[in-house]
Amino acid sequence: MKLRLVGDPREFEVELLERDDTLQRVRIDGEVFAVRVDAVSGPVSRVREGSTQALAARVRDTLLAAVGPLHFAFTAAETGGRRRARGLTAHEVVAPMPGKVLKVLVTPGEVVESGAPLLVLEAMKMETTLYAESPATIAKVHAAVDAMVDHGAVLIELSPPPPPPTEDPSAT
Amino acid sequence: MGRPIKKLLIANRGEIALRIVRSARVMGIRTVAVYSDADATAAHVGAADEAYRLSPPEPAQSYLNIAAILQAAHTSGADAIHPGYGFLSERPEFARAVTAAGLTFVGPPAGVMAALGDKLAARRIAVAAGVPVVPGSEVADLAAARDFGATAGFPILVKAAAGGGGRGMRVVATAAELEGALAAAAREAQAAFGDGRVFLEKYLARPRHIEIQLLGDEHGKIVALGERDCSIQRRHQKVIEESPAPGLAGAQRERLIDSALRIARAAGYRNAGTAEFLVDGDLHYFLEVNARLQVEHPVTELRYDRDLVCDQLALATGAPVADAGSPRGAAIECRINAEDAAHDFRPASGRVLALRLPAGPGVRVDTHLTPDAEISPYYDSLIAKLICWGESREQARRRLVAALDEFALLGMQTTAGFLRDVIGSEAFARAELSTRFIPELFPAWRPDDQHLKLALSAAAIAAHGGNAAGARDDGHVRTGAATRSPWSELGQLELWVRR
Repeated sequence: MKLRLVGDPREFEVELLERDDTLQRVRIDGEVFAVRVDAVSGPVSRVREGSTQALAARVRDTLLAAVGPLHFAFTAAETGGRRRARGLTAHEVVAPMPGKVLKVLVTPGEVVESGAPLLVLEAMKMETTLYAESPATIAKVHAAVDAMVDHGAVLIELSPPPPPPTEDPSAT
Repeated sequence: MGRPIKKLLIANRGEIALRIVRSARVMGIRTVAVYSDADATAAHVGAADEAYRLSPPEPAQSYLNIAAILQAAHTSGADAIHPGYGFLSERPEFARAVTAAGLTFVGPPAGVMAALGDKLAARRIAVAAGVPVVPGSEVADLAAARDFGATAGFPILVKAAAGGGGRGMRVVATAAELEGALAAAAREAQAAFGDGRVFLEKYLARPRHIEIQLLGDEHGKIVALGERDCSIQRRHQKVIEESPAPGLAGAQRERLIDSALRIARAAGYRNAGTAEFLVDGDLHYFLEVNARLQVEHPVTELRYDRDLVCDQLALATGAPVADAGSPRGAAIECRINAEDAAHDFRPASGRVLALRLPAGPGVRVDTHLTPDAEISPYYDSLIAKLICWGESREQARRRLVAALDEFALLGMQTTAGFLRDVIGSEAFARAELSTRFIPELFPAWRPDDQHLKLALSAAAIAAHGGNAAGARDDGHVRTGAATRSPWSELGQLELWVRR
């Protein structure tokens, strides 16, 4: 699978190879090395390389790993082909964390460009702006200003943007 | 001599509420916790003898709700209230309401708190007591501000009289920026504190922040428990605190203590408090008094072998303050916050999925973290304090680095990795401390890639529920269902967009 470090443009091709008892061989960007799976309890896997232990788990769409005091969050990276294949049907913008809706910056029917600010959430007295990941039409707005929302709550539904003037299947 | 305390309500949450419960228990005092709906299963609730629900999570309805807290005190039969830090701890109206309800407030009297809470008033008390303050001007109209800038020299600082935590504060580099900065600071102060008054101070380029811990009793005796150096800050928020202040000459320490005691006596201070100073070379300038227990108080506790919460509770009943005694060794504290240090320290929240806390000689951990704890976005992001003691600063520092390496939390970003790099740095080891340390040496911290491959491997294994795709199906696999993970199919999900 292709993993992307959240907030970092780099992508890594990670492939689990054969496993012998607790010894797991992994290929990362073509380079093979081995880690030891110490234990799996509930959702948490404990994996070791030499004297260093990592804790890891999947939380919804994110893979989390802690190595000592460092904490990594990964998402599956999109390839261009997959992005095209997926199209832009019935997307949802969900809250990345619980918080309060401070501002809703779009209204249903509005067409937004990739990177357009959609909504501002407040968590721990700090503001986080959610942006459009791709061009889209705002289908529905579920978020109301001042509402408290949970992690994963659907805030905005998106539909595909109007077709561009010239059809080019490789352009989206 | 006041009444003894039999039952103490703690009007706070998190690590400090838990820490106060522990000291009260040692003194044979029963404890009452209060909590919001976000904290129903929090550590401080389980630790106290009794717990009372306040309200939904919003601070204004819960931990800032004076009426609800007094109601809980009345229902539980508590005879005293400890406010902790933050929330209502420095609100004179709260101290007044507690006393008016016939309860003991564990802190300074409301009048003292009110006088010191206003930065301009506190500045006047300091000047009258013969304590140096940063050269400044109370007159903040534009013409006077231009005059002050011309005399003191730019840059100058615009500060809110009612301010705190860097809000309503502006650094003005040139006379041309003055007009806009005055207006912006006043607006910010009005919005944040409901008080738009601002004043001016000379901006010190690379000062150290050093503070003196004070304890005062009802009989007018005040003792100083040495200093803490809190120079390592980020956006005016303390990050690392230590004692003694490295390299501080004995004579200068005496001058700082003398200044702190003068202000405390002039204000009629009682209970625990801290006088804060900026130190620039041989000179020191009074900043403010924090009329409460501070986050970093354990640094002093470790050096003086003393429990400051026990001191506070004894002082609140009218007991005389015990002398300071001699400090031993060195102590350093760091604050672990639920924040993403690699992305402008934006707040993080979520469930603790796995937790490893450090321990060992000279290692203290003050935290409300538990496996499975939910870190909610409603409150302060502080989730743990690591405090290490050593015979020397270097021993304390090495213990703190080792403790941070031992710390692990799975579930959300924390600042532990950032702290590990700061405290492990050469510059910190050499104690090159100033309030500019982080902006100058760690302006855009990123985690080292050293452990990235292990993290990726562990993440990939977790994606398969602990089972590897290539695992032999012969009983060697420890656990996990043989179902196909959605991760092997749906590789295209984004953090916040889902199909």
